[in-house]
Amino acid sequence: MNLIAISINHRTAPVELREAVYLKEDEIRPFINLAKENQIKEGLILSTCNRTEIFGIPVNNEASHDKFQTLLLSFKRSQSINEQHFQKFVSRDAIKHLFSVATGIDSLLIGDNQVFKQVKDSFQISEKSNFSGYIMHRIFDAAIRTGKRAISETAISEGAVTVSYAAVQLTEKIFSNLSKKSALVIGAGETGEIAAKHLSEKGIGSLAVTNRTLEKAESLSQKLNAKVIPFSEFCDSIYKFDIIISATSSPEILIRKDDVNNALKRRSNNPMILMDIAVPRDIDPATKEIDYVFYHDLDSLNIIVEQNLAKRKLEIPKVEKIIEEELDNFWEWYNSLQAAPAIKDLRDFFEEIRKDEVEKNKNKFSADDQEKLDILTKRIINKILHHPTVELRKSDESSASVETSTKIGIIRDLFGIHPGNNSEKE
Amino acid sequence: MISAIHTINILLPLLYFTTLIVYFYDFLKAEKKLINIKRVFLFITLFLHLFYIVLRTIAFDHPPITNVFEIFTILAITISFSYFLVELVSDIRGTGPFIIILPFIFQLISSLFIQDLVEVKDVLRSNLLGFHVISALLGYSGFTISAVYGFLYLVLYKDIKLNKFGLIFNRLPNLEVLERLSLYSAVIGFIALTMAIVIGVIWLPIAFPHFSYTDPKLIGTFLVWILYAAGIISKVFGNWRGKKLVMLSITGFTIAIFSTILSNFLAQSFHSFY
Repeated sequence: MNLIAISINHRTAPVELREAVYLKEDEIRPFINLAKENQIKEGLILSTCNRTEIFGIPVNNEASHDKFQTLLLSFKRSQSINEQHFQKFVSRDAIKHLFSVATGIDSLLIGDNQVFKQVKDSFQISEKSNFSGYIMHRIFDAAIRTGKRAISETAISEGAVTVSYAAVQLTEKIFSNLSKKSALVIGAGETGEIAAKHLSEKGIGSLAVTNRTLEKAESLSQKLNAKVIPFSEFCDSIYKFDIIISATSSPEILIRKDDVNNALKRRSNNPMILMDIAVPRDIDPATKEIDYVFYHDLDSLNIIVEQNLAKRKLEIPKVEKIIEEELDNFWEWYNSLQAAPAIKDLRDFFEEIRKDEVEKNKNKFSADDQEKLDILTKRIINKILHHPTVELRKSDESSASVETSTKIGIIRDLFGIHPGNNSEKE
Repeated sequence: MISAIHTINILLPLLYFTTLIVYFYDFLKAEKKLINIKRVFLFITLFLHLFYIVLRTIAFDHPPITNVFEIFTILAITISFSYFLVELVSDIRGTGPFIIILPFIFQLISSLFIQDLVEVKDVLRSNLLGFHVISALLGYSGFTISAVYGFLYLVLYKDIKLNKFGLIFNRLPNLEVLERLSLYSAVIGFIALTMAIVIGVIWLPIAFPHFSYTDPKLIGTFLVWILYAAGIISKVFGNWRGKKLVMLSITGFTIAIFSTILSNFLAQSFHSFY
């Protein structure tokens, strides 16, 4: 198979180089057009903050990895990127790499679910841009199936592997139903926003945001349908919240032990969770000594993250086994797309139908006519199959393997004559 | 029939032990396929245990409630049956081994020392006594389960406070669920114990005309009842929750155990039948 892939990723290049070749969604379509102009008939472009990958099937066998690299660098024009920053794959290895990406075992955060969605989105862009042919479509199906199996059959995506998500998961170990709880996020920066989003996704009952700059808090609150509390007043209202996540860049402590003690009294000792994911810390660490207060800072949340990452690493062999199984399945299908066995299967399929029908109806004919019926039906089948047979042989000899494979694949799909299963003639 | 009873008597602790191992393995590994397997083991054990009790009742002409080792086998089945219901209703994982170890211990002691008693004291041949014992055992099963969930609450609470994110953290349900399970078990136990006390008060003057209200059994049971009543009232009408509440449940359970040992084995009480 002449599938070629190049990848520039977190292992091969630093972030500034990855940023330099990052293709935004509105850049991918023009890039696909450029690829098509350069004799790449079908493929896939995947570009995330950690990787930019190009998978493609060239029209002829002359295209190489260098051509793919040149195309990308001519499109993005980066001087600092050279040969060493690319990983190169071909044929089975290219598909294996795609499966590894889709399952998350090639990600910076092992088991990252996000990349699975990004792979799906990339395939959709390819399809919409008419850049996904018969073979790429099958590769896409196999990659999605592999990704789904990895998620459902292994624990590769289980447990929080980011601090903000670990904070939210920890709250679920204390409270049973977040929809009945209220949360306050202090700080509307990136970390605060992510934490607030996680809480919102988990169905928190009510969410409030406070930030030194009111506009930023208002902007985040609009996105997440949250309330805004003025920064100068938030300390007096912490008793109203079951969960407080603080992620500001404040150099001094924002919530003191006395504040929490008072809040706890006002809420009749109802448990409070304080997640301090700021550096330097926003909440007095001494609050952890108070009963019914669960205080956690970056260090403690990082323990959860590290443990989950270690667990995910242990799942990699299981995912690799799934990848090998799916790769074997795909390859078996791909090998079936050869002309000679396909022609034989097609002829056997028609012959079986012919025999069945003759057998069922021969009693309606006299003994002399039965022999004629046999000859006549054979002649009809031969005439029907003559042109497809000639066409398949012709394209096989011309070594345009992708085109042949596509034709054979379509025939096999249309008539249901896949190797190993009997024809579905009824 | 007697040989069947003897065979099942040997089999039961083995089955409880196997079930305990399966639950413990599930606690360690948390594999999806084990969810149903462990329940099947518990169900088979429960079914055989019920069959054993019916056989004993028929063979020896009285329900197995007339001495401490007979009571232990009933206690084993009521605790495991209560847990089986809790697991089916709440669908929680991870607490099984901490509960099932108790029926295993009770059944093991029972199987080792139980005797084939046909003759029992006349005072123990009473329908009222049967209801009294069954409600009391249901009550104590409830308190036992409540105390176990309370204990697990305290362990998880401490682990979260101290940033220990090991097996206990990963496998147990969250603190609110543990607190709720402990409370519900205590409430069910309290209702059953109340019924046992009411029936006992009706039966007592009939069975023992010269009993004393200062009997250690009566004082101990009343103390336990008062403690759980106070806990439940504090939860419903007051601000008691979390640690305080589960500590109360564990204290109630401890007093219940001491009261039973004291009144049945050590002190002179009308309740010392054994």
